[in-house]
Amino acid sequence: MSEFFPFGRRASMRTTFSIGVVFVIVFALVPAVSVLVLSFTDIRSIPYIPVNWIGFDNYVTFFSAAKLGYNIQALLNTLVFALAVTIFQNGIALLIAVALNSKIKGRTFYRAVVFMPTVLGVTVIGLIWSLIFNPSAGPAASIWKLFGANSAFFGDQHLALPLVIFVQIWSGLGLAVVIFLAGIQAIPEDLYEVASIDGASAWQRLRLVTIPLLAPSITANVLLCIVGSLQSYQIAYVLTGPNNPATQLLSLAIFSQTFGGGNASGSSASQGYAAAISMIQFVIVGIISLAVLVYLRKREARM
Amino acid sequence: MPTMTLRSRPAVRRGLALTAVIAAAGLLAGCTSSGASAPTGTGGKPTGTLNFIVSSSDASDAGFRAVNAAFEKKYPKVKVVFDAIPNANWPATSASRLTAGNVDLTLAGPKEIPKYVPASAKGDDARAADAGVYVDLSKESFMKNLTPTVLKATAYNGKQYDVPTGVSYYTGIYYNESIFKKYDLKIPTTWSDFVTLCNTLKSNGVSPIGIGGKDGWPAGLTMISAVQGLYPTTADKDALQKGLYDGSVKLTDTQPAQVLDRVKQIYGFAQQNFAGVSYQSIPSGFANGSFAMTADGTWNEPTLASAVGSKFKFGYFPIPTSDTAADNATLGGKTELSLAVPSNAKNKTAALAYLNFFTQPANYAKFVKLSGFASAEPNVPASAFLNSIAPYTKTFNPAWDYIFVSNPKAGAKAQFPFNYQSISPLGSSSVEQAATQSEKDWSAGLS
Repeated sequence: MSEFFPFGRRASMRTTFSIGVVFVIVFALVPAVSVLVLSFTDIRSIPYIPVNWIGFDNYVTFFSAAKLGYNIQALLNTLVFALAVTIFQNGIALLIAVALNSKIKGRTFYRAVVFMPTVLGVTVIGLIWSLIFNPSAGPAASIWKLFGANSAFFGDQHLALPLVIFVQIWSGLGLAVVIFLAGIQAIPEDLYEVASIDGASAWQRLRLVTIPLLAPSITANVLLCIVGSLQSYQIAYVLTGPNNPATQLLSLAIFSQTFGGGNASGSSASQGYAAAISMIQFVIVGIISLAVLVYLRKREARM
Repeated sequence: MPTMTLRSRPAVRRGLALTAVIAAAGLLAGCTSSGASAPTGTGGKPTGTLNFIVSSSDASDAGFRAVNAAFEKKYPKVKVVFDAIPNANWPATSASRLTAGNVDLTLAGPKEIPKYVPASAKGDDARAADAGVYVDLSKESFMKNLTPTVLKATAYNGKQYDVPTGVSYYTGIYYNESIFKKYDLKIPTTWSDFVTLCNTLKSNGVSPIGIGGKDGWPAGLTMISAVQGLYPTTADKDALQKGLYDGSVKLTDTQPAQVLDRVKQIYGFAQQNFAGVSYQSIPSGFANGSFAMTADGTWNEPTLASAVGSKFKFGYFPIPTSDTAADNATLGGKTELSLAVPSNAKNKTAALAYLNFFTQPANYAKFVKLSGFASAEPNVPASAFLNSIAPYTKTFNPAWDYIFVSNPKAGAKAQFPFNYQSISPLGSSSVEQAATQSEKDWSAGLS
């Protein structure tokens, strides 16, 4: 087998590769290993305070009787959040992508509208939906009122998490649609024509042509969605604050512990404890992501 | 087309070794940081840039800006770079600025903890003061401008590391005088009076109390007010805390559970769906007459006054959570935004000159007027509003959250440790359930 180098020589390839490796080491590997080590210390946010090696104390605290109930609830909220966002975001995005791939009038405009939330910042999204779901004078309250009902919306313990999930889906839908659209546009038109000749209905064309050939896009979208939603806390934070038990997520607990602003998960600004939660979250995200990846790859191969 | 293969294994090994060295260096750097950098010299005339950060509040920001302008006028060679940082970002921003050494004046309030509280509960500011992060201001001449009792309350291990900029009270409630007059209501002095007053308002179709429950902590003010009435003196609160830490007081006992019962009843008098209403929207609701009263701190008086304008007059009284009127006669409070100079400040001269300037009664009076804080200095004229609550603030009575030291080993339901957040409709529990949850989380943290 002959060797091929993109720029003709091995040295240039090595140079560019090394630069990439250095970036990965400095900005990913070193921080990741540092977080692991810091999880065994009592480091706090203020500088110059002596840092002590405390072994597994932070992990013991996480699983202690005092903290376990809260942490399990945060984990359950995180799993519900990730599962709901992944299923609904991808399901809705797929249907929208199929619709926007058809020859409807003004589809470019519709595509822009669907993609628009993706370019909005989290704070802007928080502001928009806080205003919409303002229980005193927001449009949602007016609609509720038409039916003789009222709600505290983000202050309602039973409604807060579903609303946060809804907003997360709304904000992430655009990117998922774009990935599906790209995948759909790569499917040869002939296959649809053949399916039509064979008498396939629209549903059958979707199920037997579009979805199997979209398998790589589905894998990408589902994985992005799972990893993103398991690590997401920003929308829950801006909509319901750092201490709302109904929307307490593991990532939000890490953020609150590391950067302050919350006290529900324990002593504030203990970065060693936050690092320990990060490592536990890393293991959970890693296991779930790998399991889903293996399943989706096998599914792709079957299709 | 075939792709190239990487055969140079030694290069990979070298790369891994380099990675390990970098990681180890980073980790060692992270674990060996102790002791602040050496203090820079002081003395001479202040010049250069004074980097000044505070956590933001509209009224206090306006007060600081007015003093900053006057300071720059007196010391034209000093440029004050003032950053008012949103509260949510304060811990991260102040820590990073302190680490970078680009702040000359910041906020810190080291607090001593009682001997029966575990050392792990010591606050960050206290740990930082122990490590020499802040300049000891005890011997600075300008400290004599401050009220001795306030200095005593803020002393840490016999030293002064900060200059409190004022005092706020927050166990009271603002009331709309027009609505009170309309329904011939008097300021209540006992819990039963208060309940009767709220029921009268409700029966007339007026929401009695406005609470910004979405932000959590404004609802917590009702819990702090309940403790203030049921444990009225500092000695009562100290005894409660000691009892909680030594296990002789349970959060399910009659009196602690009564705190949550008061909270539950106050929630029942709050405006509809208050759990979803933000704190920022409360002043406009109060000004529009959407509710007759709002539980808030005296720090927000300038904002409320601005929202209300000339529509009506309003006043402030302690929420009477005790059935004994004498126990409801004081407002609980805390010292506000305490200014401290980091030991690694680059312009310590200007920082100390600023504190000297700030504490001069004439300059401090400007700040107090705009910030709405009660004065931390004697002989500084108070606003008409603060004069109106003077009968409740004759002596400084620290509120429960100012005394209570949170146990970091306790669970989430026992952080204050009264579990006001779980009570319906803010949470989904009854008083009994909330008390049981907090007792479980608290006692688990004691072992």
